[in-house]
Amino acid sequence: MDNETLLRVILLTPLVAAVVSAFFFRRSRVIAPVISVTAAGVILFASLALLLGLEPANPTASATLPGFALGGFTELETIGLSVDKNGAAMLFVVTFVAFWIHVFSVGYMDDDKARGRFFAGLSVFMFSILGIILANNLFMTFIFWELVGFSSYMLIAHYWNTDYAAMASKKAFIANRVGDLGFLVGIILCYAQYGTTNFAELEALIKSGEMTVTSIGLLLMCGFLGKSAQFPLHVWLTDAMAGPTPVSALIHAATMVAAGVFFMVRIFFLLTPEVLTTMLWLCAGMAALGGLCALGQTDIKKSLAYSTLSHLGFMGAAIGLGLPEIALLHMAMHAFFKATLFLCSGSVIHACHHEQDMTKMGGLLKKMPITAAAFIVAGLSICAFPWMAGWYSKDMILSGAYLAGNIPAFVALVVAAIGTTLYTGRMFAMVFLGNAHGHGAEHAKESSVWMTLPLIVLGVIFSLGAGWFLAGTNGISWLGGKMNALFPTVATEAFAHGYHDLHDKLAAAGLVAPMFILGVVILVVGLGLAVVFYRTATGEDKLREYSPTLYKALEYRYMDTLYAWYIEKVQQRFAMLVAMLDTALVNMLAMRGVVAGVPAILGSVSRRFVQNGNGSISVFWIALGALAVAAALVSGVLS
Amino acid sequence: MNCGSSLLQVAVAAPLVAALVMAFSKWLPCAAKKAVAGVGFVVPALAALALCYAFPCAEKIGGYAFYSSCETIGVPSLGIWLQFGLNGISLPLFLMATIVGLAAGLRAIATKGVAQGGLYYAVTLVMFGGVLGVFSAIDVFSFYIFHEFALIPTFVAILLWGGYARKTTAITMAIYLTLGAMVSLAGLFALYFAGAGAGEYGFSFLGVAQAVAGGIVLDGNVSVIFALLLFGFGILVSLFPFYSWAPDTYSVAPTPISMLHAGVLKKFGLYGLIQLGALALPLGLADWQNWIIWLALGNIVLIGLITMVQKDLKQMVSYSSVMHMGPIFLGIAAFAISGGDTAGLGGAVVLMFAHGLSVALLFHLGQSVYDRTGTYDMTKMGGLTAKAPVLAAFFVAATMASIGLPGFANFWGELTIFTSLAQIQPTWLLGAIVLSIVISAIYGLRAVAKIFYGKNTGAALSDEAFENVRDITTAERVPAIVLFAALVAVGFVPSLITKNIDATLKADFAPAAKELCADCDSVPAETDVDTIILEGSIPVEVPADNCEACGGNAEQVVLAKNITVSVDGAVGNPGDFVLSGDDATLLKVLEQAEVDEEATFVVVLRVRARIPVDIEELRNGDVDDIPLEDGDKISVE
Repeated sequence: MDNETLLRVILLTPLVAAVVSAFFFRRSRVIAPVISVTAAGVILFASLALLLGLEPANPTASATLPGFALGGFTELETIGLSVDKNGAAMLFVVTFVAFWIHVFSVGYMDDDKARGRFFAGLSVFMFSILGIILANNLFMTFIFWELVGFSSYMLIAHYWNTDYAAMASKKAFIANRVGDLGFLVGIILCYAQYGTTNFAELEALIKSGEMTVTSIGLLLMCGFLGKSAQFPLHVWLTDAMAGPTPVSALIHAATMVAAGVFFMVRIFFLLTPEVLTTMLWLCAGMAALGGLCALGQTDIKKSLAYSTLSHLGFMGAAIGLGLPEIALLHMAMHAFFKATLFLCSGSVIHACHHEQDMTKMGGLLKKMPITAAAFIVAGLSICAFPWMAGWYSKDMILSGAYLAGNIPAFVALVVAAIGTTLYTGRMFAMVFLGNAHGHGAEHAKESSVWMTLPLIVLGVIFSLGAGWFLAGTNGISWLGGKMNALFPTVATEAFAHGYHDLHDKLAAAGLVAPMFILGVVILVVGLGLAVVFYRTATGEDKLREYSPTLYKALEYRYMDTLYAWYIEKVQQRFAMLVAMLDTALVNMLAMRGVVAGVPAILGSVSRRFVQNGNGSISVFWIALGALAVAAALVSGVLS
Repeated sequence: MNCGSSLLQVAVAAPLVAALVMAFSKWLPCAAKKAVAGVGFVVPALAALALCYAFPCAEKIGGYAFYSSCETIGVPSLGIWLQFGLNGISLPLFLMATIVGLAAGLRAIATKGVAQGGLYYAVTLVMFGGVLGVFSAIDVFSFYIFHEFALIPTFVAILLWGGYARKTTAITMAIYLTLGAMVSLAGLFALYFAGAGAGEYGFSFLGVAQAVAGGIVLDGNVSVIFALLLFGFGILVSLFPFYSWAPDTYSVAPTPISMLHAGVLKKFGLYGLIQLGALALPLGLADWQNWIIWLALGNIVLIGLITMVQKDLKQMVSYSSVMHMGPIFLGIAAFAISGGDTAGLGGAVVLMFAHGLSVALLFHLGQSVYDRTGTYDMTKMGGLTAKAPVLAAFFVAATMASIGLPGFANFWGELTIFTSLAQIQPTWLLGAIVLSIVISAIYGLRAVAKIFYGKNTGAALSDEAFENVRDITTAERVPAIVLFAALVAVGFVPSLITKNIDATLKADFAPAAKELCADCDSVPAETDVDTIILEGSIPVEVPADNCEACGGNAEQVVLAKNITVSVDGAVGNPGDFVLSGDDATLLKVLEQAEVDEEATFVVVLRVRARIPVDIEELRNGDVDDIPLEDGDKISVE
């Protein structure tokens, strides 16, 4: 198959799968998962075929689908699909992680009655995220951006009969829409400004000296803030954990939330220094905040969600520092280890009969050895253990901040890094060490092979090895240079260069060794402290015992409280006020008073002529009156 | 007279004939009544599909396919006689009308225990015939008459089969809509007596457009006539603040009537504003564009807020339908705002098509919810998904369509309209307008969550009654599928309707666009260009980029008079320069501005164009000198 066909297959396969299983196999327990997993497999193979077939030097491919045009709006006349070096990296990460999470879901959802809906939802999500990756202009990005939000909404609402999921799904969709408001306005202004929204054409325009505009960059950034859950729109992500765990792993950790980062990397050339600075502060702050607040959660998934917020903050900060390649690198590495951590939590939750409270777990190390091993590997990776995936990307962002001379940002990121080691160690100690504190944990057994195999593949192999290709000079390559360690070479094109560049700069500044030592110190101190401090016999969170005030601060309810206050006390009251004014002024005064007053007068007149006082007569009188007015107006016009 | 035009006539006549048959309903058994009514509802839909298929290749007169004209009905000597036909704008709306009519009809037939069933069907059928007439009539007179024809059954239906406070509501609505109809009639009269309609096509859309373009109506009158049409039609379309009739009417009326009125009949005014207002009176539209913007903003923001606090499902859907008129009005106004770009009009037509289907679907499903819970009060429901998952799925889909999710037709309409408003002044208004995507998401998802998520609250249904709730029946499912399929088909393949719309817009609206463009030439519009492109630089008068539509014309006009350009960068004498005739070239300006010795490079920036030039090459004559245009910004490096 040629590249065009492959691109169309990649985009349309999940759509077909979703439609078929939603309409025909809604109730089936077996067929819908089979269709969905097969579709994910087909996409993975098609993507690999596409990526391995591309020229590493110039990794681009494109295809078109028919669109529409109206008047001067011709931007969607053909719907263009394309892959460039950034897209290639994202495509590989998404299709690979997604396939294994699909496999995991088969095991995780084995006791769920609505599997058909769940797997159809996963396929809709695949369609949407692939659309974002393959989109070649801003309008198309927006289309799939919205669809991703929708699939996220549907999957969060999977357990619709709980009030929490109902609230969380709504919150996620609306928070995303608030971001999309700015995003759409930005797209429209960008189109008005440059006459195109095609990424390649825009980049060429900017390169040829066209000016970049801060307002457009800031507006486009709103989309990122919503989708990647950065301040002040971050509140939806932690509640999004109401969805099934594979959804949290795929959508709310590895891919969808990373799409915001991917998008910002893609439009990096449009961003002015002001936009980058704004982004740096928002995201570095979020990194530190998320890293600390993960310590204040007892729900294992919520804790991981704060960790995701923190790491998305890292990526955003990297973009803000002017290192888009490093941001993309961290996005890819993060996808592997964070998906693994979520899947481990899923495996644990499933084994403990859907218990998510870490204080009720404990002692699972022996009962669930494979899960524990995967957790250790992925956990070390996220803590940037040397030569593991996170080490290459996360420590590079720290170094980048230091090199840029931005000490406040550097400090924020170091705090975030310390937070990472603390919450990872805490999680490990509370879940896997000590004794079982709950009924579920006492009876836990290792999960089925559907669930452990993805853990091994994603966790052990990729968290350990995804970074290898960057080690040394040029890493290990095979398949005639088409594969670079574990990545297709074209997919590493986007960040390998940036990584080596920064590494060289670091070496030139003589900072390689100090940064290495700093990383190791953070790792050892953080992990050690956490494991010693949180290893507990009672199951209670130690920090909550020692300092309830600090713990409460770390629970971080402030923004939720603020938004709840705004919605209930401001928005809702204002809406009520408008509705009341509507009833009082427009409905009663204007209508009953003025409009109905006329026929009332006419009606009283009419009663003298026609012995009928009911309302329908007055209708004819007002008609007559209006005709008279009309005649007057007409004669006025014509005179 | 050809096959297509007879098919069109059959489509319009079928419901009316079926309604006539209902006059004998006393002697007809129940099944026969239903069958006849069913035929009356199905035939137009099938005919419309066939017409859509035949349209691209059909022979067209003045852009109208399936043209037929009957001079015996009407007074040809006065320029008024019956003319039928469909162009690219009326075709999708006609199709939408038949689909909504089919769904509403099936809903009516499936309704159990209606008093006077025959009359009920007859009333619905007459209304249906009326709305089909509205969208297939070309002459203004029958266009208007068909509207009245469809409106009267609405009163009757509300009076006879309406819900709570039906009499008050019917009269309120009658007063409002009669007022609207009368004001718009005044506009039409004014147009007629001003001399429009004297041409070959009489007093038809085409005839009026030709006559006005020929300069028959005085410029001063154009604005007044447009205002009459705007506010007359505006009342009929529930333009802010003339909307109070709509929520009450829709929540009281029987569901099929709400579907037909909110979905189709209400589009009459918008259709009139496009086919008459924008087409024949573009300068009137330009005069009133700010009014439309602010009033439509009222529809979006204020009505949106009111929608958010509704507890009653049917009221909420009604208010949301009022709110969604805002973007459509803006799409029409965008024709003037953008200086003659027809994209906004196209988006308005697409959104009219989509909104008709989606609001009908919501009313239909709302009735299904009511049939199960016995209430429209959303706070008393909850957890309905457990018992009616398919109904829930349809409801979520309808909500998503109505809040403009990609994949449904509504999205393309909204997207095109928002994009066409890029030139709006001041720019922040664009943000306020796009706010509609947030507001509609808030109330839409709240409704879904209240009705279908969580657990049964027990307020409306006891646990026992809740257990007995059944999922959507076939009779409810068929209309839902029909509406859903149409929304998704256009959602995924928008070109199904946009091709025809665009062709008609290009062909018919070119003269109107030119008029708007000439307008923006004589009065240099303050576009957002300087605020966006040249932040922090000297504001210069930039001709609106939308003048592109006029092509060569605009350039000639510009070259003939003095132009102003600004120069900055490495020059001794930066600032604005007024140039005329032969002096308006780059080289001359650079001389005047005293370019520094070391400068090597100069860039000419104009709207949507950027011309980089090497100064050395320019001086040596290696590259041609560049003629400048008004508003050019030259920067020397």
